[in-house]
Amino acid sequence: MTINAIPPAFIFIAGGLLLPFLKVRRAKQIFQLLIPTIAFIDLLYMGQGTYWTYHFLGYELILGRVDKLSLCFGYVFVIIAFIGMIYALHVKEDGQHVAAFLYIGSTMGVVFAGDFFTLYAFWEIMAVASVFLIWYRKDRKALDAGFRYIMVHIFGGCCLLAGIIIHVADTGSIYFNLIDLTGPGSKLILLGFIINAAVPPFHAWLSDAYPEGTITGSVFLTAFTTKSAVYVLLRGFPGTEVLIWLGAIMAVYGVVFAVIENDIRRLLSYHIISQVGYMVAGVGIGTTLAMNGAAAHAFCHILYKALLFMSAGAVIYVTGRRKMTDLQGRNLYRQMPVTLILYLIGAFSISAVPLFSGFVSKTMVTAAAADTHRALVFLMLHLASIGTFFCLTLKLTNGTWFGKDTEGSGEEKIKGAREAPLNMLIAMGLAAFACVFIGVYPQVLYHILPYPVDYQPYTTHHVINAMQLLLFAAAAFWIYIDKLGGKRKITLDTDWFYRIPGRLFLSFCNKPLNKFRSDVQGLFSKDRAFVVSLSKNPFTIPSVLAESMKLKMTSAGNLERREEISVRLNKLKSVAYNEDRYRISIGWSVMGCIGFISVFAFIFFYL
Amino acid sequence: MVKILKIIFFISIGFLVLIGLFIHDAHAHFWWERIPDFDAIFGFLGCILIVFGSKALGHYWLQRNEDYYDD
Repeated sequence: MTINAIPPAFIFIAGGLLLPFLKVRRAKQIFQLLIPTIAFIDLLYMGQGTYWTYHFLGYELILGRVDKLSLCFGYVFVIIAFIGMIYALHVKEDGQHVAAFLYIGSTMGVVFAGDFFTLYAFWEIMAVASVFLIWYRKDRKALDAGFRYIMVHIFGGCCLLAGIIIHVADTGSIYFNLIDLTGPGSKLILLGFIINAAVPPFHAWLSDAYPEGTITGSVFLTAFTTKSAVYVLLRGFPGTEVLIWLGAIMAVYGVVFAVIENDIRRLLSYHIISQVGYMVAGVGIGTTLAMNGAAAHAFCHILYKALLFMSAGAVIYVTGRRKMTDLQGRNLYRQMPVTLILYLIGAFSISAVPLFSGFVSKTMVTAAAADTHRALVFLMLHLASIGTFFCLTLKLTNGTWFGKDTEGSGEEKIKGAREAPLNMLIAMGLAAFACVFIGVYPQVLYHILPYPVDYQPYTTHHVINAMQLLLFAAAAFWIYIDKLGGKRKITLDTDWFYRIPGRLFLSFCNKPLNKFRSDVQGLFSKDRAFVVSLSKNPFTIPSVLAESMKLKMTSAGNLERREEISVRLNKLKSVAYNEDRYRISIGWSVMGCIGFISVFAFIFFYL
Repeated sequence: MVKILKIIFFISIGFLVLIGLFIHDAHAHFWWERIPDFDAIFGFLGCILIVFGSKALGHYWLQRNEDYYDD
């Protein structure tokens, strides 16, 4: 190796920080695409091994642990960074691009971190950078959702940090590798990881915040946070029994909530939770096939989910509408046919239709569940698969591009709707190409997986079974098609537990607690005012106190005397402090000093 | 157009059911994998179960008006 590679995290972070200094728009756009390209070449130059180790407070920081597992995630993150940047080329705000680059860079840092301190530092940058991709949407809902998002992530980060500190204190090493799930340290680390992986009940941040992000920013959001969490789980906790169940529950949970969702990007967000469920279950099963499956599924998922979010984003971008109730029955397929086709490729991929990418990766996880004889997990994952096909290929397609106008608005088409700008279409085209390419030629993906692959997705049995499963789900959909339109409702999720009680807590502080404070304050306000008036002129304090005592001791009936005292009292109080009145002349001070020095000198010299 | 799609759809599900009867998985892990056309049945019933299950869950418990969280 003649050229030394540099940490890919720094390429993105430095690129992001330099971007605002470019003044010509075209140059900026070229630069945006150049950064992921350089990072990709950098990855190709990085052989496996350990790079960039630094000594810090007696520990060894490792910025580059390069093996097949980290490279697999590194590749897909760089690819999606490139595609996402094409999709975002038309955005003029530098801030959004800077946030995206910092976000991508910190995720690359997490992937290649070999120790806990580096991991934690990049983990936190990831949370802070990503929240700006939500806030840049700039409406009230986005601001609120962003605050909830960042608070959950800060909580997760605190769990992780606490876990790391306990773990390092116990083991004395900060090296990040397989972690034994014993003791509070490892459990807190696991909790930190699964909060980022959006495992229920800690998943609501995702379905809450991702639909509120900017159109281009949400594409990045879908790719990095949850998948980097899958990566760290693969690294730290393979074969952890509890993850199998969490993953299987997650897969079904996401689908159930997606079925009743009306907002198109929120529906897609619930499917992130569902799909990450397969990966988490794969990590939990922990066999070679399952781990490969989790990594492969993360790889494919990033591509097709970005494609789905890009096409949903394109619809929102040109129509300004985000709900199926506002889109169905408007025949959008006539105005956006290319977007529809690209969307369908994404939908087929996530539904694991043969020849599309999901089929070659999702089946690895289900096959691993079957191999280890986990019947219930196998059935749950299959059920989630049906639900995914139902929601994305059938319901969302119908509700966005076709469908019946259930509310009878009489609107036949959406005015001004047309295909999305060229850069968006190119980005979606690239992602769609990758989905089909991996589906048709899975060896290219299997080649970069962490372990050697001995799995054949395209057996007659697999293909026939998958087609039966999907087409009969479609048949069920067809029967009930008229009852399945969107509803103008929102669905409560576990974010309720911090949104409503949080608000109650706030109003408890504002009303009863605040009233108590003002009561207590009122109780002593007279005395406070008296002390304040006293302190205005210290020299009159004794006489004011004396007169006040006199006033108190005089009986209430003796009006004349009371009147006399209070006149005197008011007069005393009104005397302002005069700093010159009690000042002695400078001559006395000098004389005092000389006297002191004389006495001091006498004592010092003669005694 | 829709009619052609419908015909293709029905032909393909009929075809799949037929093939399913003759294909046996040599590496079946679970007893149900030996039932012919199990995936077709599971796909159909599973879809109905998941749709009506979630609809019921939403209708009776989880769904609220859109301004639920507004002040």
